[in-house]
Amino acid sequence: MKKPMRISAAVLALTACGLAGAQSAGTWSARVGITHLSPDVSSGNLSAPSFPNTKVDAGSNTQLGGGITYMVTDNLALDVPLATPFKHDLTGAGAIAGVGKLGSTKAIPATLMLQYRFNEAKAAFRPYVGAGVTYAHFYGEKTTATLNGLSGGTLANPTTAELDDKFGALAQLGFVYQFNERWFVDASYSKSFLKTKIHLSSGQSISVRLNPDVFSMAIGYRF
Amino acid sequence: MASKLKLLAAAMATVGLLAACGGGGGADTTPKAKVTSVKVMGDSLSDSGTFGYKFTVQGNDPTTGKPYLVWPERIADLYSTSLCPHYKPTSQTTFVTANAGCTNYAIGGAQINYVDASGQVVNSPISVLQQIKDAGAAGVSSNDLILIDGGANDAAALITAVLTYQSAAATYAVTGSPADGAKALAAQKYLQAFLASKIDTATLTALLSQGSDGIVKAGGLYMQTLAQNLATSMQTDLLAKGATRIAVLNIPAIQMTPKFTTVLAQIAQAQGTAASKQAEALLDGWVSAFNATLKTAAGNDSRIAVVDFYTEFKSQISNPAAYNFTNATVAVCSKIGTDELSTCSADKLAANIPQGETSPDWWKSYVFANSFHPTPYGYQQMGQLVSRSLAQAGWL
Repeated sequence: MKKPMRISAAVLALTACGLAGAQSAGTWSARVGITHLSPDVSSGNLSAPSFPNTKVDAGSNTQLGGGITYMVTDNLALDVPLATPFKHDLTGAGAIAGVGKLGSTKAIPATLMLQYRFNEAKAAFRPYVGAGVTYAHFYGEKTTATLNGLSGGTLANPTTAELDDKFGALAQLGFVYQFNERWFVDASYSKSFLKTKIHLSSGQSISVRLNPDVFSMAIGYRF
Repeated sequence: MASKLKLLAAAMATVGLLAACGGGGGADTTPKAKVTSVKVMGDSLSDSGTFGYKFTVQGNDPTTGKPYLVWPERIADLYSTSLCPHYKPTSQTTFVTANAGCTNYAIGGAQINYVDASGQVVNSPISVLQQIKDAGAAGVSSNDLILIDGGANDAAALITAVLTYQSAAATYAVTGSPADGAKALAAQKYLQAFLASKIDTATLTALLSQGSDGIVKAGGLYMQTLAQNLATSMQTDLLAKGATRIAVLNIPAIQMTPKFTTVLAQIAQAQGTAASKQAEALLDGWVSAFNATLKTAAGNDSRIAVVDFYTEFKSQISNPAAYNFTNATVAVCSKIGTDELSTCSADKLAANIPQGETSPDWWKSYVFANSFHPTPYGYQQMGQLVSRSLAQAGWL
C-alpha cells in the first residue's frame, strides 16, 4: 500500500471513526479473554541465616485478560495488555522442598508492546511479533505459618514478605484472525524477562528470576 | 491522532492506578493442621524448666520481655499454645507430677535408658521411655502434636563408660599397681552392667571376648536397641492410643560439641591424634547406628516425622556463617568461667565482653551456651529445623 493512501486511511479513521478497513493505521481495538501467566522460576539462595540452598518457586495463575491496541501504521501496533491482578503462590524449593506454601503475592504487570503485524491490513490472518517493556507491581503479599516457622517468627511477630517492583522486557509471538470487519480473535505467547527480590521481615532476601511464560487468548472488537 | 494517544495514555494510567492499590505484607499464621495441644518428651534440649531454669543462657528475650525460648516452646507458639513442666524434681532422678495439665514431660539429663552410677537402670521420668508412658497414660489425641528428642545423653554416657574403662585399663597396664587394677576392674564391671542393661548375656559375653572390636560392636548394638525401644514406645504408648503426629529428633553429631571436642583434644594430647580420631569415629558410628535404626523403625508411617538434627547440626558447625553464627566451637558461658547454665545469665555475658568481641550482644550469635547446650539463637535454629519437617509432613 502506498503511503498517501495510508495517511488518508488514518484521516478517515479520525474523522469517521470505524469506516476504515480492518487494522489499518489509526484504528483502535479492544479485546477481552483470558491470560495465563506461568512463572519459569530460577531462584537464587535465601541469604543468611537460612538452610544452605534454600530456594523458592512460584505457581502459575490464570486471570481475565485482554487489552487495547492502536495501529500506528498498517503494520505497527501499540498494544497495552490488561488483566485482572494475578495471584501467585510462593512455595519452598531446594533445601526446603516439600514444605508447601510460604506465601502468596498479587501482581499487576503494566505492559506496553510494540508489534509488527504481517500481511495487509485487511488480511484475515495476521501473525505478529512484538517486543515490549513491563513494570511488574507486586502487592498484597501474604505469608504463612510455614514461613513463620522456617524463619524463626512467632505468633506475636510473624515473618512477612515484600517483593520489589521491577521493570522487565518481553518478546512476543501471536496472530490475529479477523472474522469480519469488526470482530477478531487474538492469541499470543510472550516470554517475559523479569527478576525481582523478595525481602523477609526477618532480614533475609532472595533474588528470583520469574521469567513468566504468558499465554493470552481474546476476542476483540475494532472500533 | 492526539486524542487517540490521550486515550492510550489514559489506558496506561488506569493500569497505573490499579497498580497503586494494595500495600505491605501481611501474614496468615494459621497452621495447616489443627493442633490443640503440643506434648513434649525428651531431655534437656526440650526441658522448659523442670529444675526452675532452661538449658540455655538465662534471661529475658528483649524482643518479648519474656525468658528465652527453647525449641519446643517455639513450636508450641506457632500453634498458639504454650508449655509448662509436667514434673517437678525430688532429686536428680526422681520426680513427682508438678501440674497434670502441663504437657512438657522433658527433663534435663534424661536418657532413653538411664543407668545410674551403680549400674542399675532407673525407671523414673528421667527415662524418656517413662515420660512417653506417662504422657500416653494421661491421654493423647489426634489433635496433639508430640515432640520427642532423646538419645544424646545415652550416647554420651556410653562413650564415657567406654573411655573411662579404656583409660583405667591403660593406666593399670603401665603402673601395675593394685589400686589402678581395682579401678580398671570397677570400670570394666560398670561398662558390662551398662551394656548388659540392653544386650542379653550370651551376646554380650561373645562380643566382649573380642576385645576392643567387641566393645565397638556392643556399643553399636546398644544404641540400635535404644532406637528400637524408642520406636516401640512411640507405637505402643502414643500412636496406638490415638496420637497421629509425632516429630522425633535424631541424635545430633555430639562429637562436635565443646564437651566432646575437649575430651577428644585430651585424648589427642595423651594418646596421639590417631587415638583421638578413633574415639571420634567411634562416637559418630554409635550415633549414626541409632539414627539409622530410628529412621528404619519409623519407616513410611506418615504419623512420624523424623527430624534430621544430626545432618543439620553438622551443617551448622561446619558452615556457621550460613546460619549467622559467628562462633561454632566455644561455649559462651565458658567465657565467664562456668559450664553451669543456671548461673550463666545474659546480663553477666553482656557485662563481660571477651577479647575479640566488641558488642554486649556478642554471645547471641554463638552456637553453644555451655559445652552441651545451645544459645537461645541455637534453639531458634532448632525450631526452624523442626518447622521444616513439620511443614514437609503437612502439619505446619
